[in-house]
Formats: sequence, structure tokens, C-alpha cells
Amino acid sequence: MFNSDNPTPEGVETLTFAQKVRLGSFLGLSVKNGLLNLVTLTLYRFWGRTEVRRRLWQAIYLNDEPFEYTGRGGELFRGFLYAMLLVGLPLLVVVAGAQFLGPKFAALIIFPIYLFLFVLFGFARFSAFRYLASRTLWRGVRFQLKGSRIRYGFSYLGYLLLSVITLGWFWPAAERRLAGPLWDGLRFGDRRFRFSLDAARKIPIYRAFIPAALVFGVLYFAVMGVIFAIRFAAQKAQPAAPDGAMIVLIYAMLLPLSVLGVLIFAPYQAARLRSVVAGISLEDARFRLEVKWWGMAMLELGNLLLLIISLGLLFPVVEARTARFLISRLKSTGTADLASAVQAPRGPGTGEGLADAFGAINL
Amino acid sequence: MDGAFFDGRTSRPHQVDVAISEGALLFEAGGTRHAWPLEGLRVEVLGDRVRLSCDAGADGRLTLSRADWRAVLGRHGRRVEARGRRREGRVVLSLAAVGLTMAAIVFVGLPAASGPLARHTPPDLERQIGDSFDAQLGLGMKTCSGGEGQAALARFGHQLQARTGTPFDIRVRAVRAPFANAMALPGGRILVTDKLIAFTRTPDELSAVIAHEVAHVERRHVMQAMWRSLGAGLLLDLVVGGGSGAGQQAVLLAGSASDLRYSRRAEAEADARGMELLQAEGLSSQGMAPFFRRVAAGDGEKAASPLRELVSSHPDSLRRAQVSAAHARPGAAAFDTQAWASIRAACPPARAPH
Repeated sequence: MFNSDNPTPEGVETLTFAQKVRLGSFLGLSVKNGLLNLVTLTLYRFWGRTEVRRRLWQAIYLNDEPFEYTGRGGELFRGFLYAMLLVGLPLLVVVAGAQFLGPKFAALIIFPIYLFLFVLFGFARFSAFRYLASRTLWRGVRFQLKGSRIRYGFSYLGYLLLSVITLGWFWPAAERRLAGPLWDGLRFGDRRFRFSLDAARKIPIYRAFIPAALVFGVLYFAVMGVIFAIRFAAQKAQPAAPDGAMIVLIYAMLLPLSVLGVLIFAPYQAARLRSVVAGISLEDARFRLEVKWWGMAMLELGNLLLLIISLGLLFPVVEARTARFLISRLKSTGTADLASAVQAPRGPGTGEGLADAFGAINL
Repeated sequence: MDGAFFDGRTSRPHQVDVAISEGALLFEAGGTRHAWPLEGLRVEVLGDRVRLSCDAGADGRLTLSRADWRAVLGRHGRRVEARGRRREGRVVLSLAAVGLTMAAIVFVGLPAASGPLARHTPPDLERQIGDSFDAQLGLGMKTCSGGEGQAALARFGHQLQARTGTPFDIRVRAVRAPFANAMALPGGRILVTDKLIAFTRTPDELSAVIAHEVAHVERRHVMQAMWRSLGAGLLLDLVVGGGSGAGQQAVLLAGSASDLRYSRRAEAEADARGMELLQAEGLSSQGMAPFFRRVAAGDGEKAASPLRELVSSHPDSLRRAQVSAAHARPGAAAFDTQAWASIRAACPPARAPH
């Protein structure tokens, strides 16, 4: 498998990614996880998610060596319990207690808590990424993520507020900036990845975002207008019309709207991913994601339909499709000294508790 | 056999020659001899290769061809691979036990305990909770201004209170709201909306609705429901987290369906007890049946529908009308003509904005 103890004269290599993801394997796993989730009141989900990652990681190759996922279901489960006990329960007690202080006091306490929840969301996202890095091995060496989770949490809140103030205009820039600490803090062993915002900016994202946002905005208000018009007419014709028909109507309108939304935003999603990947480097190796909008649209439409038809059961297949799509389009130029990375520390003992509590797990 | 070894200290690859002796894999890399016991080996099958690791090897990884691994180890190799599956079986069994216990607590234990818990909740605490609810509801539902009508409602509340053993001061009042409803808050407050007062056609109908709410207060149903949903909410959230997956939503839905079943039982109990209270006071209990019949007609229902009832917090209105009619008895009106007129006028139409 290796020619010698020295792969190249200086241990310097170009990076070639490959994937051997078999969707059939994830189909079976989806069914198994679904059944076991049912039997265990969804408690199995931590172990199910771990198995999905294990299979996915070992199907992704860098220079003919597969990655390895070493996370355990028990770690995720404990992380979830800690998050519930240390964050969920105190928050619940404060919010419930605030009810006794009268409505004005309650608002004074609950509003800052809502803001704090966004900080917590960013914190949870960084923590989840840190855990994931620490459980990812390649050639027996762990990845690690350095940086402050608290600072990331506050950046998240800040960028979110800026996006709200600018009516969403800032959000694409915010998404790109939020990718920065996650990649700039990443290390393979002791080898440091870098994220350059300047390099990422060479791929424009607003050119794809502006038309998408405009078209979708018009479409959204048109559909909402139609729903309200039908509702108004129905109420005039028959004041006690059953709500069931209305709910069916709303869903019947929302499905095509979300399909169109996927198509309309696909060029932006593709540009955003290309831009973030263009900002990443490892020593002299730079990365490039060859994602076109049509491929992105087909991937996301397929994922959307799979999830709707299976009521979310086929989520592992969706994750596998996505990984297969991205890895087969991930290219690298330049070289990095991959053979002399020194092992990283073990990392956090539990992971993702908060992110799970927020329902914010993306692999 | 040939193998590729990473020592787990650096990412530098080593090509190694692997031998098996005395139940261990033996190989040498970078001047260090390694002995990995076969018992306790972890195996990952990667297409035509296997990746091995073990506690003794820490982060070290040894890759062999799968054919070599199978040929040399024979049945032992398969046994090592099967060990992982047995561990998973144990995890699933334990989780299923935890899930079952949680389900038993939420669906059986908590509902059974909610009655005693409510009875043992200190009345002062319940009053405090009720005051807080009232203050919050007050933001959207303003008390009606008609003093005479309010006094008539309050008097009637106190009249029924005397028949009950409740520790609470029952305070009935009319409020302005965009819907027709009456509700008992924890601690004895009862709110009747202007739309409900307008919906009722006779003093009997209104007195039946208020008597029903008084029965809720007496039996501490609201406190029971709070204990049930607090406990079930906490436990189910603890199980499913904030996840939005279909499975997680299904568990939460089952939880609320169970809660609704108990809530319907409480409604039926309050119907019966409300009529008893009226009859004990020598008042007419004939208002409930026509009231529910008209509610049912407003619902657009033709017949009692068990399907609709299943997703509702209240029993089917037509069924309630049938049961009430069967037990109704004539009696005096709860409100005389003057009181009835003042109640009807308690919530004058809001002044139009300029």
C-alpha cells in the first residue's frame, strides 16, 4: 500500500479526494435506525447518527487512505443529558419563575434570554464542529478545532442582528464570515488549516443571491396573498368552514413553493460553498469545489423529496448523497506535508448536546 | 503478511510485516515492537481491506488486506467482527427499557399522580400561579366595565362556592375577548368572555357554563393539568430534545394525545358536577343541553364524532348535550330579569377609534 516509510522525498503530497459511498448501505441503515428509534422513543438516535458517520467517514478517501470516525453514541447521549440539565433546566426554571414576577418583569427577563439563546446557538454550533473534528482521524491522527466558542456565539448573534437590521442583505456575508473560525481554527494533528476571507471573496456570492432573493420574495408574497384570498373567500361563503381543508391548501401551496425555493436559491448555495472552500488552505494546498447550480439544485430537490416522502426516515441517505456529491467535486492544487503531522489531544469528552437540543445537527 | 501501520503519534506511514503468535498480532515499526492481542481487536471492514485498532495500540492503526485477515484468523476474525454487533444489541435493549419506563411514567404514572399532586399543592401557591396567569391574560383580555353585571356574576360564583368544599374564593368576572369561552384559572378565578355572554340565550345557559367552571375549580382540574403537562413536557423533552425529526414529533404528539384524553375526562366530570351544584341550590340545570346543542350546530357537526373528539381537549358537544339533557332538572333561574339584563350589558361595545 505504501512504497516505503517515506512516501515522497520530503513527505510532501498533493491532496486527492475520493469517495466510495454506496447509497444502498445507507438505505438499509435508515430503516434499521428508524425501527430502533421507534422502539427506544428516539433515544437510539445518538447511536444511529454515530453509525451513519462511521460509515460515511470510512467511505471518504484522501490519497487512498479512508477517514475514520471514532465518536461514540454514548458520548452524544451524555452530551445531550448534560445540555438538558445544565442549560435546558435552568432556562426553564428562569422562564417559569419569571411568570410570577408579573408580565412586565417577565418580558424584561425573557427578552435577554431570547438574545442569549442565539449566542448559545452559535456556541453549540462551534462545539459540535469541535467534537466532530476531534473524532475524525486520518492516518491515525486526529483533527482538532481551536478557538473560542463564546466569541463564536457572540459573533453569531452580532451577524444575525446585522442581517435583521439590513433585512437579510448581510446574511450571505455573515454565512461566509461564520465559516471563517470553523476552518481557520481547524488543524490536522498540529498542521494548521487557514481560512482567508480575501481568497473566499474572489468567488462572488451576491451576484447569485440578489436575483434569488428578489424572485423568491415576490413569489412568497404572491403565494401568501393567494392563500389569504382563498381563506377570505371561503370564510365569506361558509363561515364555519372546517380548518382541515385550509391546512391541506396551505401545505399544497408550500410544497411547490419550497421546490421553487430550492431551484431559485441553488445558484447562491453553489456559489456560497465554492466561496467558502476557495478560502480554505492547508500549507501550500488550496481547495476548490466544482459545484454548478444545476447539480446543486438536483441534489437539494432529491434530498427534499426523499425527506418528504419518508417523513425524515431517509435522512441518512440524504447525508450520504450530499457527502458523495461534495467529495466527488472537491479538488486540491498545491502540496502539504501530510506525513509529519503530530497527534492532537483527545478533545472534548462529550459532544453536541446543545446542538442536538437546538435540533441543529448537520452531520 | 503485509500491512500498513500508523503509530498514532504522527501521520507517517510504516510498511510492516505482520505475524500471529500466541493469540496476538506481532509487528515492528520504527524500531518499536508491537503485540496486539486478538481479543479486544476492533475491526473496520473497508472494501477489500480491514483497519485494525486496539486499546493496547492507543491511536495506532494497522491496515491489512481483508483476504489475509480472513485466511489467517478464520472463524476468529468473524467472531471479532460479531462482537460489535452484540454490544449494539445490549445498547438497544437498555435504551428500549429506558424508553418504556419513560412512556409508562408519562402515559400512566403522571396522570395517576396528577390528582393527588394537585390536591397536595398548597392553595397559596395555586393562588399565586392563578394571579400570574390572570395578569398575563389581562394584557389581551380587559375586564368589562359594567359594574352591576359584574356584581351579579360574582354573587352567583359565591353562591355556588358555598356548596363546594373549595379553599378558594371563587371570583367570576366578564372580560372582553375575540372568542366565546369561559375559563377557570388556578386559584378560583373564572373568566367569562363577552362573546360567550352574547352567545348564551337564557340565564340557565350562562349559569350552567359558570357552574361547570366552578366544578373545575373545586376539583382542581387546572392544577392537575398543569402537573400533567409539566411532568410530561419535561420528561418527553428530556427524551426527544428539541429535534424536529418525524420520530421525535410522533413521540411528542403521542404525549399530547394522552394529555387530551385526561382533559376530556375532566370536562365530563365538570359537566356532571356543575349540574349537581345547580340542583343542590334548587336552580335549573336545563341550560347545559341547549347550550351544547347550539355549540355543536356552530361546529358544523351533524352527529357525535369520535374521530373529531380524539383530537380535541373537550368531549364532543353533541354528546355532552345528550348526556346533560338526560340528567337535567327544572328549577329557579340563577339570574332574575334585572340581573340578566345587567350581565348582558356588562360589556358595552368598544368605542370606535377616531
